[in-house]
Amino acid sequence: MTEDDLAFASIETLAPLLRDRDLSPVELTCAYLDRIDRFDPTLRSFVHVNPAVLEQARKAEAQIAAGDWRGPLHGIPIAMKDNYLTAGMPTTAGTTAAGIMFPERNSAPARRLLEAGALLIGKTRTHEFAWGTVTPPARNPWDSNRIPGGSSGGSGAAVAAGLCAAAMGSDTGGSIRIPASLCGTVGLKPTFGRVSRDGIVPHSWSLDHAGPLTRGVTDAAILLNALAGPDVADAGSSDEPVTDWTAGLDGGVRGLRVAVCRNHFFTSNQPAVSAAVEQAIAWFAAAGAVVADVTIPLLEFGLGAIFAIELASSAAYHDTSLRAGRVPAFSPDVRALVEMGRLVTGADYIKAEQFRTLLIDGFRRVFSRADIIIGPTEPVTAPQVGEAFVDIGGVQESALAATWRLTYPYNLAGLPAITVPCGFDSSGLPIGLQIAGPWFAEGVALRAAGAYEAAHDWARRRPAL
Amino acid sequence: MNGDDSALWHEIIGLDVAPERRSELLAAFESIGAEIRKLRSLDLTDVHPAIVFKPPSGPHRR
Repeated sequence: MTEDDLAFASIETLAPLLRDRDLSPVELTCAYLDRIDRFDPTLRSFVHVNPAVLEQARKAEAQIAAGDWRGPLHGIPIAMKDNYLTAGMPTTAGTTAAGIMFPERNSAPARRLLEAGALLIGKTRTHEFAWGTVTPPARNPWDSNRIPGGSSGGSGAAVAAGLCAAAMGSDTGGSIRIPASLCGTVGLKPTFGRVSRDGIVPHSWSLDHAGPLTRGVTDAAILLNALAGPDVADAGSSDEPVTDWTAGLDGGVRGLRVAVCRNHFFTSNQPAVSAAVEQAIAWFAAAGAVVADVTIPLLEFGLGAIFAIELASSAAYHDTSLRAGRVPAFSPDVRALVEMGRLVTGADYIKAEQFRTLLIDGFRRVFSRADIIIGPTEPVTAPQVGEAFVDIGGVQESALAATWRLTYPYNLAGLPAITVPCGFDSSGLPIGLQIAGPWFAEGVALRAAGAYEAAHDWARRRPAL
Repeated sequence: MNGDDSALWHEIIGLDVAPERRSELLAAFESIGAEIRKLRSLDLTDVHPAIVFKPPSGPHRR
């Protein structure tokens, strides 16, 4: 296996090599560390590399040699978004504002990954307080003049560039799926409550989700196996039973009922995105799925609802900082968003929550006759660095508004949604296909995504770094 | 409310915001406010909010 092959290998490929001692966790970790040294000065995806990761790798090597193989994550280097608390590594949540500090303890996902034998290779860059889709100054591995998306932009860039085997992200309005789509990786936002957020710096309590960015669908399932489960430390955590999400991934899509929501998700997309997604829809039909167009009412009111909830929640979370005068030290965009939270009224917030009831009803009706909903993850490919407006079919649209337009409905509804690469535009930039399933039915979304991925070579392409 | 109402700004949003900053915030809020005004136009009188209060299920539960 060449160095590149090793760096871009899936966890599914690496795990048996590590288990059978054909590959050492130390060798694998050194390969990623070497690539971080070589490529991250340009990509700037990491804010901290764990000085203890080689020690963790040697320990994993000894455990495996002693016959104590813990499973497919044992000895696998995984990066954590810098809003996950971690013992032994600092957390900044992307801010340099004075007077804001976070404890050095492990968040629930970090703890669960470590218990599964994973190695924490470092912390990846987040847009400040997970409030944006640019993640400056991180860059996109497919074109370093373009943004990686956000807020988990460092995680997207690091996975796409082969700097780690997988990375954790958090998703309030799309922050796992946006960078995954723009960087050409898989990104999974599980059902709200499926993965504990204990120890993740809050952004908006009723919208925040934790999940992985990975090189493939099976890897997302492997990580979900380790991450999922109830946790009394997270008030939003669910006690829905967990399962082995890697089982049934090869079930195919024959007979699967696939809904395509033609309003909202298809009204304003770049032509290359539309073409790639329509081809994907045609593939599902040709593969034996039963594809039907649907509409979900009131989606045009979703942006106001998620703005009301996110702004109000963010202002509440940062209230002490607002009153202490620390917010002017935030980056200008995040400062404005936090301050504007004070302009949202209590009635606006409650009305947004009433709207969520109707939106959930709309999705429930679709899922009474469909197994999944598919569509584009992003209406655009990765915007240029510094591009405040993006061109969509000749119409200029705010880059922020465009980049989360197709992802936030699933945060408002709390539904599981996964993005998988489905093509490239003429500039060689990745395009993502979004697949959502019913609440706590990650398995069906993973199965559909896995079938699509296996039939195409998009996920196997590598950026020229 | 406009950028000149210092006392009103303080009373409503609980912050002392410099006049030039108020204008910047109002300008930045314009497009967001438009979306929220759309939401306000919906008649949701009979719709229960998605987030509900749930008391602890036992007298000694935290």
